[in-house]
Amino acid sequence: MLSRTAEYLYWISRYMERAETNARLLDVGYRMSLFPNPNGYNNEWESVLAAAGAIQGYKNKYNIIEQKKVEDYLFFDEDNPSSVFNCILNARSNALVVRTSFTPESWLAINKTYQEILKLKNNNFNASDLPNLTEWTIEQVNLFRGSLSSLLRNDGYNFLYLGLFVERADNSARLLDVKYFVLLPKPQYIGGNIDNMQWSILLRSLSSFRAFRWAYDGDVTSTKIADFLVLNSDCPRSLSFCIQNIVKHLTNLTCSPEKVNKIYNTLKDLNIKIQEEKIESIVDFGLHEFVTQFINKISSVDSDIQKEFFN
Amino acid sequence: MYQSESLIRNHYNNINEWLEKMTAKVINEKNAEAETHFRNIGITFSTNSETARERIIPFDLIPRIFTFSEWSKLEKGVIQRAKALNAFLADIYNQGEIIKANIIPKELIFKKKSYEVSMFGFTPPRSIYSPIVGIDLVRTNYNEYFVLEDNCRTPSGVSYMLENREIMMRMFPDLFHTNRVTPIDDYPTRLLQTLMSLAPIKCNTSEPVCVLLTPGPLNSAYYEHSFLSDQMGIEMVESTDLFVEGEFLYMKTVDGPKKVDVVYRRIDDDFLDPLCFSPNSVIGIPGIMDVYRTGGVNICSAPGAGIADDKAIYIYVPEMIKFYLGEQPILENVQTWSCDKDDDLNYVLDNLSDLVVKEVDGSGGYGMLIGPKSSKSSIEEFRRKLSANPRGYIAQPLLDLSFSPTLIKNQVEGRRVDLRPFCLMGENAQLSSGGLTRVAMNEGSFVVNSSQGGGVKDTWVLAE
Repeated sequence: MLSRTAEYLYWISRYMERAETNARLLDVGYRMSLFPNPNGYNNEWESVLAAAGAIQGYKNKYNIIEQKKVEDYLFFDEDNPSSVFNCILNARSNALVVRTSFTPESWLAINKTYQEILKLKNNNFNASDLPNLTEWTIEQVNLFRGSLSSLLRNDGYNFLYLGLFVERADNSARLLDVKYFVLLPKPQYIGGNIDNMQWSILLRSLSSFRAFRWAYDGDVTSTKIADFLVLNSDCPRSLSFCIQNIVKHLTNLTCSPEKVNKIYNTLKDLNIKIQEEKIESIVDFGLHEFVTQFINKISSVDSDIQKEFFN
Repeated sequence: MYQSESLIRNHYNNINEWLEKMTAKVINEKNAEAETHFRNIGITFSTNSETARERIIPFDLIPRIFTFSEWSKLEKGVIQRAKALNAFLADIYNQGEIIKANIIPKELIFKKKSYEVSMFGFTPPRSIYSPIVGIDLVRTNYNEYFVLEDNCRTPSGVSYMLENREIMMRMFPDLFHTNRVTPIDDYPTRLLQTLMSLAPIKCNTSEPVCVLLTPGPLNSAYYEHSFLSDQMGIEMVESTDLFVEGEFLYMKTVDGPKKVDVVYRRIDDDFLDPLCFSPNSVIGIPGIMDVYRTGGVNICSAPGAGIADDKAIYIYVPEMIKFYLGEQPILENVQTWSCDKDDDLNYVLDNLSDLVVKEVDGSGGYGMLIGPKSSKSSIEEFRRKLSANPRGYIAQPLLDLSFSPTLIKNQVEGRRVDLRPFCLMGENAQLSSGGLTRVAMNEGSFVVNSSQGGGVKDTWVLAE
């Protein structure tokens, strides 16, 4: 497989995953905006921008934060490199180059998505259309992922999934972090109603609300949710699940065993640690510190993959 | 489709019945279905327009039909021409017999930019310079075909030939039950066999590694590049994926370097090798020409093959056929005046309003004058250009191109068509059982180029 092909495949699934995360984030903001403001405190759209890593870009463009503008910026704006539109555009440009390296169905899924978002972009949308846009995005990304199931289980497949899980690991970790340090205005809110409501919304945005209920009995508590999203390897968005899949698809690569080993060695410790760790000790250590370390690790794995395989 | 005013040619009877049964509603639906299909699979042209981003070529639902005997004649004629053109290239890059025999003046060859000096004295595998030859044909009369133009570099359009058939079979399966249409879907396999049969001398495997070299997604034929490489199961590479080391060419893979034996290049000569051609080019593979000339890799088509489809050389192709093959040309040339001869130039200047004048190096239907369709002022403007640089132009009579029934706003109307079949030259010489039919969608228009409102049709060759 051409190095460039591997690189493009890796980025296609990163972009598609990112498109979904951003659409889900917008949904979080939308749901929160429907709840009454606690003590006049209302920052859901700013939190959403922060979680998407887009707050600086947004502020360069707009002076005030308001729903319609945030929606437009995160969904359609071509000035925002991570907007859903740009993610799909980039995935599609990459797919155009490597369409011969996956199935015609995968190409169709991406290209149809692109054709449709062009139309959506040209139609003016209402702020209240957002749930439909989110649903549409999730549906499109699911079509793409579904199409991957008929791929040959070769290196191309593994690079696609490496991209997917590297992106998801990063996205889940950032969402967790944002929950702690951005969503909640003051420490005294921790454990309160608003805290738990936000956790629930976070779960919903990760399409994990029902799954959480299946996995845990009793009250929704922040510790349980943290356990679910960090350590529970049954949860397909948890950090633990992501890291295990990164390891799996990395070690499934048949090309260049010495490069695979090199990257695997830098990941080994984290993989073992996350499977043995208890949530209480992570909380004692500091969830924020833990998540920060995790994000740095993922980012160095990402640059290793790019350096070893794509250059 | 019509033999005379009202008589339908036999082989169109089925299609005529089928057309009569279709309601406007069905036609609209099918047109929309075809357009969606083409957009979804991405057979589009990149455009610079902000609103459109990408454009599709109009597709006409009514196929163009050739009988077996019509096609047999075309087949022989095209293969004959493709052989002669390759023999010509082998000759002018070696002994130059045709020049010594005073058939073609040497300044017409050696002064051309498309003549590639670095090819002199080198003969590619099997002496094939142009493995894929596209010949543009027009019919003027019942069974009278003329060659409009040869394409010896990297003729494009074959993906349309294949996709047009695909969409027709999908939308109108019944048509294929009632008509015996020769399949064309083995073209990619034959293309790959052709490329593999052209492995360089230093290749010591029975399965040479072939790649398709594309300039990248911005190229207007990019869809075709990815389509063909997909159908052939070979890598589509850009020049940055390739590099030269020692005597061979390699591509960068996740496993490390992998040797490449045959490059089906869809980029121009100028961008092949910055060490050899255009030193300012940022694209290209430094050193590939050295590897090529020493038999480490084959480049298809050969650099410098373009001289054979030069519009000034075109005039001599019938002579070439007699000279190299000792045969009479099966397909005729359109009568052509080359403006660098004084007699011809005077004739052309006197008859500008009746002639079609083309730039020798032009393509895409741009930069040409269609005398009978042009205003006085544009004829005068062309007269000035022509007098200033006679060598840059040729002139031809305006051919009365044949019409083919075409759906225009749900009505069947006649529109002018041409045809480009694709000839493969490798171990065997063979012609695709079909080709690309381009149609001038605008009423009265003679220009079939997609860049100027041309559309496409499925092209059927009926089995014997």
